[in-house]
Amino acid sequence: MLRQVSTRTTSPAVRGSRPGGGRAAPRRAFRGLPGWLFAAPSIIILIVFIVYPITQSLWYSLHDWRIGAESQIWLGLDNYQRLLGDELFWNALRVTLLFSLVSVVLQIGIGYWAATALMRETWFNRVFRSIFFFPTIVALATIGLVWRFLLDARIGFVGGVVQLFGGDPVEFLQDPSLALSTVIFVSVWKTVGYAMVILLAGIKGVPDSLYEAARLDGANARQLNWHVTLPSIRPTLLFVTMILTINSLQVFDLVYVMTNGGPLFATDTLVTMMYREGFTNFNLGYASAIAWVLFVIIMLLSALQLRLFRYQDVD
Amino acid sequence: MRRITSALAAASVAAVVLAGCSATAPESDAPVELTLWTGFTGGDRGGYEDLIVAFNESHDDIQVTMEVQPWDTIAQKLPSAWATGQGPDLATPSFDPNIVKKYLDTNSLLKLDDVGDTTLLAPAAVDAFTVDDTLYAVPANVATLQLYYNKSLFSGAGIEQPPTTVEEFKEDAAALSGDGIVGLSLADHETIQMWPILQWLEGGDIVDAEGCSVLDSAQNVAGLQSWVDLVNAGAAPVGLTGAESDSLFSAGKAAMQLNGPWAAAGYAEAGIDFGVAPVPVGVDGPVTLGSTVPMAASAQTKHPAEAQAFLEWWTGQDAQRQFALDSGFPPVRTDLADDSELAANEIVASFAAALPTARLYLVGVEGSTQIDSEAYVPFIGEITRGSDVADAAAAASAKINAITGCSDK
Amino acid sequence: MSTKFHVSLKWVLLGIGVLAALIPFIWMIAGSFRSEADLFAAPERLLPTTWTLDGYISIWQELPFLRLLLNSFIFAGVTTVLCLLFDSMCAYALARIQFRGSNVLFWLVIATLMVPFQVTLIPVFIELFHFGWLDTYQGLIIPRATSAFGIFMLRQFFISIPRELDEAARIDGAGHLRIYWTIILPLAKPALATLAVLHFMNLWNDLLWPLIVTSSTEMRTLPAGLTLFGGQHVTDHAVLLAGATISLLPLALAFFFAQKYFVAGIATTGLK
Repeated sequence: MLRQVSTRTTSPAVRGSRPGGGRAAPRRAFRGLPGWLFAAPSIIILIVFIVYPITQSLWYSLHDWRIGAESQIWLGLDNYQRLLGDELFWNALRVTLLFSLVSVVLQIGIGYWAATALMRETWFNRVFRSIFFFPTIVALATIGLVWRFLLDARIGFVGGVVQLFGGDPVEFLQDPSLALSTVIFVSVWKTVGYAMVILLAGIKGVPDSLYEAARLDGANARQLNWHVTLPSIRPTLLFVTMILTINSLQVFDLVYVMTNGGPLFATDTLVTMMYREGFTNFNLGYASAIAWVLFVIIMLLSALQLRLFRYQDVD
Repeated sequence: MRRITSALAAASVAAVVLAGCSATAPESDAPVELTLWTGFTGGDRGGYEDLIVAFNESHDDIQVTMEVQPWDTIAQKLPSAWATGQGPDLATPSFDPNIVKKYLDTNSLLKLDDVGDTTLLAPAAVDAFTVDDTLYAVPANVATLQLYYNKSLFSGAGIEQPPTTVEEFKEDAAALSGDGIVGLSLADHETIQMWPILQWLEGGDIVDAEGCSVLDSAQNVAGLQSWVDLVNAGAAPVGLTGAESDSLFSAGKAAMQLNGPWAAAGYAEAGIDFGVAPVPVGVDGPVTLGSTVPMAASAQTKHPAEAQAFLEWWTGQDAQRQFALDSGFPPVRTDLADDSELAANEIVASFAAALPTARLYLVGVEGSTQIDSEAYVPFIGEITRGSDVADAAAAASAKINAITGCSDK
Repeated sequence: MSTKFHVSLKWVLLGIGVLAALIPFIWMIAGSFRSEADLFAAPERLLPTTWTLDGYISIWQELPFLRLLLNSFIFAGVTTVLCLLFDSMCAYALARIQFRGSNVLFWLVIATLMVPFQVTLIPVFIELFHFGWLDTYQGLIIPRATSAFGIFMLRQFFISIPRELDEAARIDGAGHLRIYWTIILPLAKPALATLAVLHFMNLWNDLLWPLIVTSSTEMRTLPAGLTLFGGQHVTDHAVLLAGATISLLPLALAFFFAQKYFVAGIATTGLK
């Protein structure tokens, strides 16, 4: 029934053993050369501009780091210990996880719904898809600014419309109980088209034969969806879930422009907190510790997602 | 162009010799080139650019290039740039005068001993930039906050004059609000703080000389309570940024606002019929908030003498007169008070008149940026959203004391 | 009956979605032609009552606009090309060559995807200083010339290309370089086009990076240059919205002409 599973369930074991296969060592080294050469430009850039800097920041996080000071004060794990007792950190962690969970679920849920609703290749559907995708091409900082103007309770468009109908001004970004939902809304608004397009690609890739077989078995539309489409697009779902999760956990521009973490820290994410510590309070060591905690969280969640989607099956 | 440069080469060499400058002096014919980073984006940029043009025209031996970038970007780059001996010769490291200490931690600032008579500069600024009797920055600008009021809203409510005492201030704010209008447009974050003025008017303050919080004193709590009551009654909005608060006044939806000279041009352009009045007198006499942007030189600049010459020129009479007329900012000098041209300019005169009673926000307090972002701004946010003032003040005081180290004393 | 209801519900929801997607843009573009007074007098209006070009005029007068535009094209264009080359080479190695360490490399690539840029900002800035690359094109371009996202995406795509194709070529004596260049890349054209569009879009929109690397106005990209108009004290809506509209325009044009690669492109090739 499921093409990946049926053809590839045995592959993880095979794959796992491959690098250690029984070839002679010198020959293996030689055989590896083209691979390394092809990968070299990217890998060098990644190492120089991402891997090395992030290890630097790990080093910072073990100090009370002051840029340019002649000697840095070694703290060991004190910065991490301090995090555990910092209520702002726990708040930022909660906000970040909540933001990511709700955004990603909505982005993928609505994106999937829109993809199936607009699947047929009519000109009308194509126009709709383009419109939904359009918000993706704008910079988050720009669109955050525009939404902030739009949502202003007294002088924004939304506020104006509310007043036109005689409503009380709604403080979308000033009310601590609404601010996070508002930022999530804008994040979903911006990204749903992207999720839709990639999921649509996955759906289109499902062979018709699978649907025909299922229809012969008497499956209805909902069953086709659950038992044919969703399992078949698992690689795409994995890709899109992982990318969106990683992006959401690192959310910065949007929050920074719309609320800067306020009101009363209601939208303060780990990256905005890290930014404040690093570039406003100049506590670079502490900021780096926050960064590393975030890094580890992202890695754990990504590993979890890879497992949930049984990544190895996809190879 | 080349002719001018070579003609003046002699002059520049002479200047260098006269200044007794060391081996770092350039031996070439070219003028000394200095780079200046500032964060003066937005509408106030033009006045500063004109100053640079005027300096370069009047100095053939020194040419300054100003590179304007957002304050955020300066905060990201300048500490590492200066600590590693690169970056610009001169910079305004932040709009926060307290930043000077952060850069001193890494010995990044040039000692300023040749920038003219500093006793003629705004004393509050000079105090803020002096550490252990050494000056490390000069004021790139100084500003005070004054009371902007919307004349049509005032006459609509039958109020003839702007308030002059704190009691009238509160009465007017209440009387002017309603029907989509707020009496006083207050901002509480991403702004030059306005709430400290309200506290000072009531005889309160944030921290004492030892860095200990006084937010929770009975006088402070009572004073703040009276303003919180006004906010709750709808006389002032909650949780606005500086820009949002400005927009409210621009839109004619706020009757009063505490703001600096930079706002005047925009309000005139938006067609608001407004006046600028002194901040109403508080229980301890007149007071308002001042702000000043430090301008410093890199400790590792190759041209310390020229950098100081530039700073001296910037704070000098000619430059300050030009800048004040250009921008509406009061001059950073005290000896231009009687200048007839400046006195004739209503905006400049009004903001300059408040300089002697202006106080800086959290000046000289350890960890002031952190107090602002993690204690004071959230504190104002809480009390304007319904928290009990006394409880919130106690909690904020504990945070402030932990940051300043007062609780350890 | 119920399907009819479902169908109309679907179109109502889609209609709301279309409105929600478009209104901010209409407001933004219209706002760039509105004076402050007009904007605040009638916030519920989408369109101006009187039109003004003031926002555009200030941008044109106060910025070396063409220079910024050129820089943006150089930065986004050259970086995109290099990125496609390096990403696809690396993806080829990871997807089509079996070699020791390929798993480690793959995990390294995935891991770099998870690093928020703000963490590496200061170390990278100091590195660029030591290389002498601050305020230069190479400083802008080289560190951005590969992306873990691109490698990940292309690897997923390359894996789906049948192996028989390169085995046949190998029998004919083709090496990796030829297989990569003459077989895999042509087959991956739609994926590369899509990736090119995504890269170009992200680079064009990038604000923090050009601000960090460059300091002189001559080296600024368009979005970085436009930050000169967002002030600490004074915000002029018309100028800000005009700036936003101008920096959106090239992308919007590209979107209309290359829609196939934005939307249909991914859809027809399939991402497997």
